Amino acid sequence: MPEKKFEYLSKEWADEVLRRCRKELTPEKMKHITSSMLTINTRCPDGKTRAVFYSLKNGNIESISIVEGALPKAEFTITADYDQFARISRGELKARAALMSGKMMLKGNLVKALTLSPTVDRLNEVIATIPTEF
Amino acid sequence: MPEKKLTKEDLYFIDFPKRIKSIQKEMAKNNIDVYLGTRLRTLSWTLDAFCPWRSYIVIPPEGLPTAITFVIDAARVADESWLDQDHILGYGPMGGQDQISLLQMLIKPHLKSGKGIIGMETGMGTYLPEGHLTLFEFVMLKAALPKATFKNAHIIVDKLSMIKDEGTINRFREASRIVDIGHKAVYDALKNSDFTELTETEIAGLAAYAMRKAGSEWEWSFTGGNEIASGYRTGLAAGACTPATRKKLKIGESLMVDLHAMFKCGLGDHSHNYFLGKATRRQLWHARNFVDLINKVLGAYKPGITPSRLADEMLAFAEERGFQDYLVPGFEHGIGMMGDEWRIGLNDGPFDYWTNPDHVYQKNEMLICAVQYACPEENIGFRYENPILITAKGCEALSKFPLSIDVI
Repeated sequence: MPEKKFEYLSKEWADEVLRRCRKELTPEKMKHITSSMLTINTRCPDGKTRAVFYSLKNGNIESISIVEGALPKAEFTITADYDQFARISRGELKARAALMSGKMMLKGNLVKALTLSPTVDRLNEVIATIPTEF
Repeated sequence: MPEKKLTKEDLYFIDFPKRIKSIQKEMAKNNIDVYLGTRLRTLSWTLDAFCPWRSYIVIPPEGLPTAITFVIDAARVADESWLDQDHILGYGPMGGQDQISLLQMLIKPHLKSGKGIIGMETGMGTYLPEGHLTLFEFVMLKAALPKATFKNAHIIVDKLSMIKDEGTINRFREASRIVDIGHKAVYDALKNSDFTELTETEIAGLAAYAMRKAGSEWEWSFTGGNEIASGYRTGLAAGACTPATRKKLKIGESLMVDLHAMFKCGLGDHSHNYFLGKATRRQLWHARNFVDLINKVLGAYKPGITPSRLADEMLAFAEERGFQDYLVPGFEHGIGMMGDEWRIGLNDGPFDYWTNPDHVYQKNEMLICAVQYACPEENIGFRYENPILITAKGCEALSKFPLSIDVI
């Protein structure tokens, strides 16, 4: 039976990301951080913009949700084309490399962002394990 | 563990929020919507931290400013500054985090519909790390904020920083005390060892070690830290800049020891001179001229005097004594918190960005009394530098190392 694939940026995909992250990323692994991050995917295949909102409290992943329309405030906002995020989610591209190429825009305190980047990498590594249809 | 932040009771306390408010008051008077400071002197004066990398401070019309520095140093600057880490941002080569993107993000909210006046700091300096806004930065900001108007506004900070407050003066006093410790270390080394084994760089280093032990943060001068010259190098024609070399000290030569220490962005800068081993009658004649001149200069500084009046008096004295050919005709340079090293007073003289010779000194203004005596044909020269505080009736020389030219 073929493995079930989740449609990228669908509610099911976000739920699966949350489930796997909660299972694999302990508060210790997440350095007990409290923060929020919004990844804004522009130019999705249907032409829309969709965002993923991540919220962490003391290293616990509180929520991961798909947002369309009005965007919530987050400590860090990362904006890039859908294709860039898709490459990161497939594990083909590191977030840091994407930021340094200028194809991805970060809003937020860079010092804090660099401190948190290994933790975000861990999150992306888990996301990369999810069978996803782009 | 970071050093504790200073309170009003501390000797070295400076009211930085008050400084920001005073800038904001001047901004309002000059219709400036937002001030972009880039000069090292502005950064030291507003942040209370040394910013060795290209840095910026964006001062809004009210509220706290935000500074931006190279990301590798942002946490350290935030640790030392009175501003917290939310107001000291790091820039780096990342989307949205480069200098121009961050400046645009900080400036834009203070421009109504993108329009308004941005105060900037541009000009010309003899001092290389001055930090004026570069042409490239200006062009990029102009492109990012096309409706905004840019106005050169450094005079605001120059005016406000001219008269020194008590905390600043005390920081300079402490930096000068540390420099005196450096001079004592050099004196002891020359006296108690075979100085012919020492090089100029070693003299610079042993002074630096003594000063660092006493709390100096670094030998701040961009002219190579501690400037040491011996022999012919002390008398270079019209010269007053001598980064130390590997030249060994020699008996019968003169030695110039110009030390620099920094204490909380307050600067120590004092030069002392020696004859190594012996001195000829002619050399001692030069030395007497120099010491007498310095005493005369120190006696002349007071509120109301101008650089040109002082120069006239000193050059007349030199002429009377017959050493006018050996005097480099300048007797001071400006000084303030780290980065403020060159021009005295405001940019209001006959030559742009040079000291106005008719600048009138006021109480609590500070300068470096800087006198260079150079006789190239005899391979001899001396330098005097000392931070001078203009007091109500005269001046206070902050470095207390005894004025003399020691035969050692």
